[in-house]
Amino acid sequence: MTGDPRPYAVMAEFADADALRRAAADLAPRRLGRIEAFSPFPVEGLAARLGTRDRKVPAATLIGGIVGAVCGFAMQAATNLDYPLWIGGRPLVAVPAFMLITFELAVLGAVLAGIGTMLIANRLPRFHHPLFEVEAFRRASDDRFFLAVLPGADFDRDAVGKALAALDPEAIYDVPAEPAA
Amino acid sequence: MSAGASPAGRAFWRSLDELADDPGLTAAIAERFPALGSIAQGWERRDILKCLGGAVALAGLDACERVPDEEAMPLVSALDGMHPGETRYYASAVELGGVAQPIVGKTVDGRPIKLEGNPDFPGGSATDAFTQAELLGLYDPDRSAAPVEEGRPSDWARFVAAAHDLRGALDASAGRGFRLLTGPVGSPTLHRQIAALLDRWPEAAWHLLDPAPIHRDHRLHLDRAEAIVAIDDDLLGPGPLQLWHAQGWAARRRAYQQGDGDALLFVAEPSPTISGATASERLVAPQAAAAQLLVALAAELGVEAGPRPALTSTEAAWIDSAADALRRHRGAGLVTVGEHHPPALHALAQRIDAALGNDARRGAARGGPQPQSADALLAAMLAGDVSTLFMLDVNPGYFIAGFDELAGAVPLRIHAGLHRDESAILAHWHLPLTHALESWSDGCSAAGLPTLTQPLVRPWLAARSRHAVLAALLGDERSDRAIVRASWPALADDAAWEAALRAGRPPGDVEEGASNGGESAMPVEVPGFSTGLELVVRPDPSLWDGRFASNPWLQELPKPLTKICWGNGVQISPALARELGLENGDRVRVSVGARHVDGPVWILPGQARRTILIHLGHGRRAGSRVAEGVGFDATPLARATGRVRIERLEGREEIATTQHHFAMEEDEYIRFVERAGDRVRTEPPPASFFPPQKSRPAWGMGIDLDLCIGCNACVVACIAENNIPMVGREQVAMGREMHWLRVDRYYSGTVDAPEHAFQPVPCMHCEDAPCEMGCPVNATVHSPDGLNLQIYNRCIGTRTCSAYCPYKVRRFNWFDLTGDDPPERKAVRNPDVTVRQRGVMEKCTYCIQRIEGARIDAKKEDRAIRDGEVVTACQAACPTGAIVFGDVADPASAVSARKADGRDYDLLPDANTRPRTTYQARIRKGDTA
Amino acid sequence: MTARGAEDRVTREIVGIPPHFPARRMWWVLFAVALALLTLFFVSIAWLFGHGPGVWGNNIPVAWGFPISNYIWWLGIGHAGTLISAMLLLLGQQWRNSLNRFAEAMTLFAVVCAGLYPILHLGRPWRFYWMAPYFNTMSIWPQFKSPLTWDFFAVLTYLIVSTLFWYIGIIPDLAAARDRLKKRRWRLFFGLGALGWRGSATHWSRWNQSYRLTAAIAVPLVVSVHSEISLLFAAGPVPGWFSTVFPPYFVVGAAFSGFAVVAMLTVWLRAMLGLHNLVTARHLSMLGCMTLATGMMTAYGYVAEAFFAAYAGGRELQTLLDRFHGPYAWSYWGAVILNFVPIQALWWRRVRQAPVPLFLIGLSAAIGMWLERYMLLMSSLSRDWLESSAGLFHASFWDWGLFAGSIGLFLTLFLLFIRFLPIMSAFEIKEVEGGGG
Repeated sequence: MTGDPRPYAVMAEFADADALRRAAADLAPRRLGRIEAFSPFPVEGLAARLGTRDRKVPAATLIGGIVGAVCGFAMQAATNLDYPLWIGGRPLVAVPAFMLITFELAVLGAVLAGIGTMLIANRLPRFHHPLFEVEAFRRASDDRFFLAVLPGADFDRDAVGKALAALDPEAIYDVPAEPAA
Repeated sequence: MSAGASPAGRAFWRSLDELADDPGLTAAIAERFPALGSIAQGWERRDILKCLGGAVALAGLDACERVPDEEAMPLVSALDGMHPGETRYYASAVELGGVAQPIVGKTVDGRPIKLEGNPDFPGGSATDAFTQAELLGLYDPDRSAAPVEEGRPSDWARFVAAAHDLRGALDASAGRGFRLLTGPVGSPTLHRQIAALLDRWPEAAWHLLDPAPIHRDHRLHLDRAEAIVAIDDDLLGPGPLQLWHAQGWAARRRAYQQGDGDALLFVAEPSPTISGATASERLVAPQAAAAQLLVALAAELGVEAGPRPALTSTEAAWIDSAADALRRHRGAGLVTVGEHHPPALHALAQRIDAALGNDARRGAARGGPQPQSADALLAAMLAGDVSTLFMLDVNPGYFIAGFDELAGAVPLRIHAGLHRDESAILAHWHLPLTHALESWSDGCSAAGLPTLTQPLVRPWLAARSRHAVLAALLGDERSDRAIVRASWPALADDAAWEAALRAGRPPGDVEEGASNGGESAMPVEVPGFSTGLELVVRPDPSLWDGRFASNPWLQELPKPLTKICWGNGVQISPALARELGLENGDRVRVSVGARHVDGPVWILPGQARRTILIHLGHGRRAGSRVAEGVGFDATPLARATGRVRIERLEGREEIATTQHHFAMEEDEYIRFVERAGDRVRTEPPPASFFPPQKSRPAWGMGIDLDLCIGCNACVVACIAENNIPMVGREQVAMGREMHWLRVDRYYSGTVDAPEHAFQPVPCMHCEDAPCEMGCPVNATVHSPDGLNLQIYNRCIGTRTCSAYCPYKVRRFNWFDLTGDDPPERKAVRNPDVTVRQRGVMEKCTYCIQRIEGARIDAKKEDRAIRDGEVVTACQAACPTGAIVFGDVADPASAVSARKADGRDYDLLPDANTRPRTTYQARIRKGDTA
Repeated sequence: MTARGAEDRVTREIVGIPPHFPARRMWWVLFAVALALLTLFFVSIAWLFGHGPGVWGNNIPVAWGFPISNYIWWLGIGHAGTLISAMLLLLGQQWRNSLNRFAEAMTLFAVVCAGLYPILHLGRPWRFYWMAPYFNTMSIWPQFKSPLTWDFFAVLTYLIVSTLFWYIGIIPDLAAARDRLKKRRWRLFFGLGALGWRGSATHWSRWNQSYRLTAAIAVPLVVSVHSEISLLFAAGPVPGWFSTVFPPYFVVGAAFSGFAVVAMLTVWLRAMLGLHNLVTARHLSMLGCMTLATGMMTAYGYVAEAFFAAYAGGRELQTLLDRFHGPYAWSYWGAVILNFVPIQALWWRRVRQAPVPLFLIGLSAAIGMWLERYMLLMSSLSRDWLESSAGLFHASFWDWGLFAGSIGLFLTLFLLFIRFLPIMSAFEIKEVEGGGG
């Protein structure tokens, strides 16, 4: 089971979340290459250990909310001033009456921005991925936990293999870079 | 009279179901929603068609009828020099019951689209509901289009030939066996023609059939009467004289409001009429009591020596205050009795007036031959003395029960009329007559002035005028224009003739008799007190004697007191209803002697305990798809004699009414002041976040409830002006009538002798309009001149505006109500007003098309719009001038003056909508005695 | 390959449902019923468009009828899904995991039903888009001061947000289904839905952020949406509507009806799909508690409303008395009895945990809340200010037809959902069981 010199990744399979956590904790400090973990459900603090945690989503949500609110209010004020009409003797720009739509658009902006950012940052949708070539990886969404080391600048297949083996995983796989024809 | 008055004001209630047995609030509320009964679910297409005048039959015609209106209806004036959309006005007159109603007809592209009063006539400046609706009568798709012979289509040539033979025979026999039957004849020309006919055929006879008698021998000048005592006489009620009387009364009333003299109206009547509702003191008395009351009044005033008949305490009190008022207004009083009462009573009434020196009554001149009664005709027919019966614009087949058997024995029967009605189908010859708006004729107005009738449009059916038909019978081939003109030698030269046509009247003045022809005393027999029921059959307030039954505008016009549309009911008193355990809509059989009719009950507060009232004019059997089968026919009982009985039948029948709703304890929809000069309670204007609107002009309306008599003229005028569609019986029963302007009526006091009041309700054009807040698409907004606009093509029909409207004046197009109108109905539409499509909201616009017209005229002359230049349709029609419209921002305007009156108040002030339409409180004569 | 663990059982039980559907016959029977009602839905709409709103019982004064009350009813039901899913998520109530997925689905479908009503209600439905602001040659805009425009935005936002919330929630389970199932068409179906989800730690962390943020936003959104629905009434000067108690009153009422319906669906799915070890007695009990709690809050709303009316007096009081004694009293007392009497049984755990009683109580609450919406509308509109314009509303066949039809629409969508998609949040259950948290 030796692939070509530079596989997409070398991947170890674990039986439960704790094993994965330990493995991540163990491997993260050592400079073997970029490490990514895969689990059927969110494992607390895993991303933090791997140092891949970011705050893009909250930031986007906040900005989206503000933009939505501003646009919402601006739209109502502008349209009323653009085509002034007497309505029930009320002032043209009736702030209390405008607040509801302002709020709704704030919500809409926040949610769209947040979820949109989540998908984009995660590079989704992506229907084809080298990992899917590994038959065992199908259990990553079921009950198995995987730790993958992606080749960095100085990639040493054996060192990585040893390191993974030392974590006594269920199994170790080479993930070929190119899909096997 | 104000039993149940609450400290805050007067307690009003709208229907029996609410005061029924239990005064307790909770029970009352439980009673308060009288089930509308079994409302036909969904959409009864048949009835939409009914009220649209039977578009079904015309669906086929569409192909050939869908031509430009100019072609469909040729112009009176020649086409050259005529501009599309050109508006022309013609002075003319329409006739009802032999009385001419002067009008100015508005035609656009040659189509008559609106009738207004003719201000050149004294008391002619307004119109009544019937006159307004005559316009639709012109366009009735069911009018007969060509002569019919023995039930087969024929033509005039054949009739002329037949007339020639008939003439020969009659000349030989000096007219023996020839009988002419007409309705009341007011036209001098027609009178002249009849006279000529009787000269030529001395043996012939002329008979009059008048199912709805009115004051003909005398003319009543109510403007001169500060105290009127009307005994079972609906002076202000619907009919040929309504306009004349209402204007006279209003003139006096206005003077009284200004503190000049008095305007008292004492009415004693068996069943509420708008006269009774307007009266300062109303007495509920059976028709049979009229003689008693009059004799008592005479005795009280010392006119008649002799014993004063026994009266109940209420009657006595009423007589006392009436007599007192007459004494106080010696010389300025009037005593009248309903025309259906025997001559002896009229004579007595006149003697009372004579004794008091009252001069409000003037003799009306009458010349020429006088007709014999219809009964004489029936007798002759029974005796077989009638060989030829000529029915001219009259419908005995409907009015006279059993006429068809009698007529069967007459060898030759000729009928001339607008419709192929009950009489036409009995006749050998049916001759279509032209409508008044397409005829040459003349007449005599209620004020006694001669009028000229000229066509607003050339007939598009093979019809001829009454004059032409009679002339054809007499072998006179002249055009009816020539015939009419021949009656006016004074107008021989064309200039005079044209001037007269322009004015709508020949020169000349009212010729009136003495104020009181010294009537010789006739013995008045006072009927003894009877415990039995009495039946009163009266013309229908909306359909009159039934001649308007084919007119959807009038069929759907809520009757002033009952608000019933599309039908009639057996009106009984609450007491009788309790006694028999009847509720609205229960079917009953009313029998008089051997004859009987069946119909649903309608309980009417303020009706005499033992009196049953039924309206004529319903249950038509032929002539119009609109008329047929609506309501039930009361004519069998109209002339019947014998004991009156009423018995319950199985089942119920839904009566469609636009308002049979309930009361509030504290509300003052209609406010009262005790006497002229009083002010309504003024409360501080409710607080508001928003400043009042400032605009110039700022359109507003004032409606004086003290002048409003609830006659419905404004409602029909609004329908005609604004292309308001009719929806039919089922839809009305579901609460989907489309009237932009409605007349609410309220009762207060006891159910047996309540106080009535009317309140016309158009759009209030609120400054802070809730409807505008509700609309999501800016379809109802405020205009810079303070109008609450409704933009039909922007409306998407959320109906929020109606839900938010406290006055519920908005109307919704639940269906496509106009799409399948027959071409005739399309021709009647006002081109200045959008025809609304399905699914949009509509409402009163203050006749914005008239405002714009005035604005354009003003702009042309580069000036501001003058006060009084904009006259809304309702205002123009109102016989009493109760409605005033104008610029409230202009302190000098009439409407500002009206609103400055101390009686001015807002409807529903607690809704805080700042309505532009305000009301002036009604003056209750607290000090009649 | 080693033996498979608890997680695998969960996956099998949930993800395994679509390919190996347990109750096919039952499903087909129900689906047939749903389709029949759906047909009625379309027939009613066709009839409506053919003739106009007049086919209903509406009139003047009752210009609003079934469409509006049903609209409010459906939307109210929808809210429970979001509340269960979002609020309980934030509160860390893990028992929600067995319920939130189909509760959210219920929300979506209820909102769809609700959203259609205001459009069908219009006199000119083909012009509904005029409520949306867009550049047009008339350069005329919606009237932003109108409660209807507020509703337009609120419902649209709500629909979008709850759809997205539901979808990103289901992605991991779609991935699980994709990876587990053998048949190509299933893999394709779920694979497309899963967007290539691989469950990497980075993805999970971002997913977590957006899922929880959306949840946090969804809660106030729900409150705002039904508050605005209530303003549809409260903004109009109509006795019985013009009241400040309406917004909270409507929101709790909505939650109440929603929890009631969720309880019904839970009992039904549990029995039909044999989910007894995923949906335990504890879940039923919690639902019972929520129903009881929101029910009692709604009851307080009734009391408060009555008190304010009595305190205000005048027309408000008169409208209140109409509700007690008037022609629509049946709907008032019907609402009071169906809403608040049966739920009292939920004070006892044994009742809460018994499926059948819970189902029946939920049913009565759902009906009761429908009566309440109907009562609020009719009793106020049929008699507001002028006695002259008072008039009654009588529902027509097409009123009922459209209502039954909308239920058919809901059932159809829901049945398709349980047939083809993971009806529970498998990964979250696993997270709890597998100590991911």
